[in-house]
Amino acid sequence: MAGQVVPARLGTLWDNRRVLSLLVVRDLKVKYADSVLGYVWSILEPLAMAGVYWLVFTKLMTRQIGEDPYIVFLLCGMLPWQWTNAVFRSSMKSLSKDSKLVRSTNLPREIWVLRTVGSKFAEFVYALPVLAGFALLSHAPLHWQVVYVPLAIVLQTLLLTGAGLMLAPLAVMYGDVERLMRIVMRLLFYFSPVIYGLHDVTDSGRLGPAGKLFILNPLAGIFDLYRISFFPDQWSGWTPVVIAAAGSVLVFIAGVYVFRRLEGRVLKEI
Amino acid sequence: MAPVIEAKNLGIHFARNRRRNKRLRDMFSTESKPDAPVRPPKKVSAAKPGGKGKGGKKRKHHEFWALRNVSFQIQPGEAVGLVGGNGQGKSTLLKLIAGVLLPDAGKIRVTGGVAPLIEVTGGFEGDLTARDNIWLTAGLHGLSKKQIAAKFDEIVDFAEVGDFLDTPFRHFSSGMKVRLGFSVITTLDEPIVLVDEVLAVGDRAFREKCYLRMQELLSGGRTLFLVSHNEGDLKRFCTRGLYLQGGSLVADAPIEESLALYRADIEARRAQYL
Repeated sequence: MAGQVVPARLGTLWDNRRVLSLLVVRDLKVKYADSVLGYVWSILEPLAMAGVYWLVFTKLMTRQIGEDPYIVFLLCGMLPWQWTNAVFRSSMKSLSKDSKLVRSTNLPREIWVLRTVGSKFAEFVYALPVLAGFALLSHAPLHWQVVYVPLAIVLQTLLLTGAGLMLAPLAVMYGDVERLMRIVMRLLFYFSPVIYGLHDVTDSGRLGPAGKLFILNPLAGIFDLYRISFFPDQWSGWTPVVIAAAGSVLVFIAGVYVFRRLEGRVLKEI
Repeated sequence: MAPVIEAKNLGIHFARNRRRNKRLRDMFSTESKPDAPVRPPKKVSAAKPGGKGKGGKKRKHHEFWALRNVSFQIQPGEAVGLVGGNGQGKSTLLKLIAGVLLPDAGKIRVTGGVAPLIEVTGGFEGDLTARDNIWLTAGLHGLSKKQIAAKFDEIVDFAEVGDFLDTPFRHFSSGMKVRLGFSVITTLDEPIVLVDEVLAVGDRAFREKCYLRMQELLSGGRTLFLVSHNEGDLKRFCTRGLYLQGGSLVADAPIEESLALYRADIEARRAQYL
């Protein structure tokens, strides 16, 4: 299987799609097997995070960023961010956490990363009712731009899969990766348009010309696409989306390459 | 007939010390790229155990070859025993056949599916019930829902865990865990079965059942690869013996001969100590 070219490898993965869905279901089952609150945990984290920022920005400080209703604006970025964050964090453990399973089944090893992306996506979907709930409460209308959400999901899936394919083997080889990523993720959160909108930094001139650099972050275009479902005014045009698409494809290709290169060594380590 | 397992100059090396190849440049170097072109076999047939060599200037001190220049062909239906002391590469070879380790040199070609009795309990999740675990693990090894449904009772009966189907797996005794693992894996309908000393665990009654099950599998025309330190087991199931020493294949002969050779080597070593 190691010598397979990329298309053949993709074929093998496709043959194993049933196994992939099985793994995702298993993750969800395990997650809820022993907890009393069960499903509530899926919405508690985004709720808590969004609650804090909502409190800070609408009650304690005068908000100059984002749009009303701010809680809806926040959640549009917070939910996809949490999917990103969860995948980055748990993909680093995806090979070591179930090392026995990885060592005893001859599945295409990429599946362990895909499984992480998949089960975190399921949690993302589970948390969407929170957004729907707040949108209803604050009478935020849904616009036709919601048709772009599938595109955002596809791009984000590519990006996260690529990043996961890189992080998973590297984290097994180097303990430093996990610590480094903790810092990177904290920075990435503030450098991505989650609590603010992309055009708050690119157009307002607050950050000067440096603000333009924010569109280079693939997450910016992706979060934009989610957000325009409720806030069409936030649309910064197609440029960030094109950059996001190019970035996602690039990261994905790099991920496939890195993973294949390190696979043999990683199997010896786990 | 085409061989089901074919190894050609198979080799794999591991890091000797804790600090592996930490340098990024090494990580991506083509040196051990799995799909690098096969190197011509060395002229000296049996490489020195723990062999040195292979180009690299600095790396040779940090690495040892767990297997080196191993070549063999296994025909369908053969029952092969792996003979050798601890740390001589038996389990590593089994893992290479199972595809859960990738070779650094040479090639291994396996035609047909493999039912690996390696780390049999590895697929089980402690928090889930035995029932969920059977479904999940059998599915992971490629059985469809229909197949699992058809074989579910058989798996449960064989493992003798009928009363504990809804008990979380972590509450199982270690014997029960292995029984369930053995039961699930041997139910897989794969033409090649790899067994790594799982028979050592479990009580006597269950061991007898395992023997019967293995005999059934063999008479069903499956190819068997068995790693064991138990001569009785090896003689009972295997016709052919591969004797591994220091990562090299030193004998590929009928099982009796390979075992005799192994015994002779042990005697010779014992004589040295006395």
